[in-house]
Amino acid sequence: MKDITKLIRRFVGILLLSTVLVIVLNIILLAVISASQTANGRPYSTAKETAKALQKTAAGYVLSGDMAEQLNMENAWAIYIDNDTLEVKWHTKNLPDTIPLQYTISDIANLTMGYIDGYPTYTGDAENGLVVVGYPKDRYWKHMSPSWDYDFIKNAPYTVLVVIGVNIFLIFLIYMIVNSKLLKSVKPITNGIQALPLGEPVYVKEKGLLSGLAAKINQTSDILQRQKRNLQRKETARANWISGVSHDIRTPLSMVMGYAGQIEANESLPESERKKAQIIRRQSIKIKNLINDLNLASKLEYNMQPMDPRPVNLIAIARQSVVDFINSDMEEKYPIEWKTDDTLTACIIEGDKELLRRAIGNLITNSQAHNPDGCTIFVWVEKSAAEYKIIVEDNGIGVTDEKLEQLRTAPHYMMSDGKTAEPRHGLGLLIVGQIVSAHKGTVSFDHGKHGGFAVTIAFPII
Amino acid sequence: MMDYDYLKYKKILIVDDEADLLEMVTSILGQDGFKAMKTAQTVSEALHMCKEWVPDLAILDVMLPDGNGFSLFEQMRTFTEIPVLFLTAKGEDEDRLKGLGLGADDYMVKPFLPKELSLRIGIILRRCYKGENPLVRLSGSQIDFDRAEVIKGKEHLPLTAKEHDILSVLCRNAGRIVTIDQLCEAVWGDNPYGYENSLMAHIRRIREKIETDPSKPVSLITVKGLGYKLVLAEK
Repeated sequence: MKDITKLIRRFVGILLLSTVLVIVLNIILLAVISASQTANGRPYSTAKETAKALQKTAAGYVLSGDMAEQLNMENAWAIYIDNDTLEVKWHTKNLPDTIPLQYTISDIANLTMGYIDGYPTYTGDAENGLVVVGYPKDRYWKHMSPSWDYDFIKNAPYTVLVVIGVNIFLIFLIYMIVNSKLLKSVKPITNGIQALPLGEPVYVKEKGLLSGLAAKINQTSDILQRQKRNLQRKETARANWISGVSHDIRTPLSMVMGYAGQIEANESLPESERKKAQIIRRQSIKIKNLINDLNLASKLEYNMQPMDPRPVNLIAIARQSVVDFINSDMEEKYPIEWKTDDTLTACIIEGDKELLRRAIGNLITNSQAHNPDGCTIFVWVEKSAAEYKIIVEDNGIGVTDEKLEQLRTAPHYMMSDGKTAEPRHGLGLLIVGQIVSAHKGTVSFDHGKHGGFAVTIAFPII
Repeated sequence: MMDYDYLKYKKILIVDDEADLLEMVTSILGQDGFKAMKTAQTVSEALHMCKEWVPDLAILDVMLPDGNGFSLFEQMRTFTEIPVLFLTAKGEDEDRLKGLGLGADDYMVKPFLPKELSLRIGIILRRCYKGENPLVRLSGSQIDFDRAEVIKGKEHLPLTAKEHDILSVLCRNAGRIVTIDQLCEAVWGDNPYGYENSLMAHIRRIREKIETDPSKPVSLITVKGLGYKLVLAEK
């Protein structure tokens, strides 16, 4: 909408500017024409000059040669009327026949203001008489009654200003009325265009001046929506496919795990055979975790995992994850030490309990997976000024600096669009990343204080 | 882990469409000492068995050829209150919540560890049928949950309501660590924060009643920072 206001402002600005410009140009043009139009000045001054140039000599009245020449060029004629007798005492040779040679006072008044017999006439004072210069009938038009109200003249500047103001207002009003229709049809179009990048379905009524444009916007929106639906359908299909495969693997894997477990526990079998069964069981558990991780990772990636955020205590969740592992670690190969400060009892965030438990569980599993010969795992929760941190650390084989760098920077192969399908790190850590970022937290990897690998997940305190 | 012999004689019905899996679960439970298992492969067969054979516990799959385990469970609930454990390949949260929401006693996702299955069945049976054998035997005493008292030698020491709640949770999960939070939740309800000290006080008083030497507990073990574990007496 901001753009529209800007547009209107610019339109109106240009309109007003051009109006003012036109007025100024007109005034200038008028001045130029008037300047070249010597109409007002010339005939009067010619009459006065003629009067001056008329000399009384012994032989009668004589007009100087220059002046006579000038009158001739303009096809003008002149007469001299005597003050005492009101008779024409002298006239040029080209005096039309219809011009009387005797005048009354009222005749004088008439010719001074206007015409004699249709000839525009101008007067000049001569000695003891009046010189009248007449021009051809079509040469000048005379304004006969030029009188104005005094107030009108006095208020003229003000009046002009008001008139200009009213004019501008009228122009603006006409412009607005004419354009309101256009604006009305532009508004839904701009609204539509602005809504397009938001990815929402857009429908603009295909009516009015810009119906063609509206139709195009609707088409674009349809195309975008279709693409979005297709993409979603594809993603859903992919996630469903992964979910279906993992479902179908579960039952056969149960049997592999179940029987391997039984063989492992069968004391009548030789130790070496039981050892093999143990390996089968352990590897089956790895496959099981992989299936679970794959399924969850694809769901998190395509936003198909419903989140259930409510206030949860991170300490309780971490404690539960740890206890789950202790309770199920029958070989006691991976003792877990709980190192949270006893005085810290509640670290509450808005979160999904199950997903957070999964994240911590994955970190513990990660330590176990990378230390097949066993290790001690340390888990604790810390509170800093702005963050709650959960740290999972082990005293196992640890990581090289190079691997650490890779963990920090390289994307997981599932997220990578590069050609290489070389797994960079396990799905377990990917899921931790996904879950933590869904909770607006951060994951960081480092060397542990206990010699192994350390992962810290941190959540902002709200 | 199975401390009460009489629980080994509970009748267990296993329902799954996969014959191999039925055989395996039967053998797992058999190895663990259970004596009475029967299997069914369809909903109709399972319902028939429930009425005729009257099992004490049922293990149900969700995907069955003539229906699903959830509706089988609901049909069973119309005439029996026996505990039910879902054992299924459907591992989605919504499935798990649906199963538990219907009122199932437990929900396990395949693939599973044989040991875990028999542990969980043991826990369910102990919880549901403890009334038949009210005395829980510890190394220095016995707990009578029905009368809410501890029998130590010739003494009968009454349990308070909270002590009773705490011991029940621990006993249901005997041999496993129960977190501080789980215990507080069981006693004080949802989202209990800051009850750790009260819990410790209750634990101390429980120890005075059940332990021979409360300063060196052998039955109610502290797992530092995490929780507590109740160790039952060896048979």
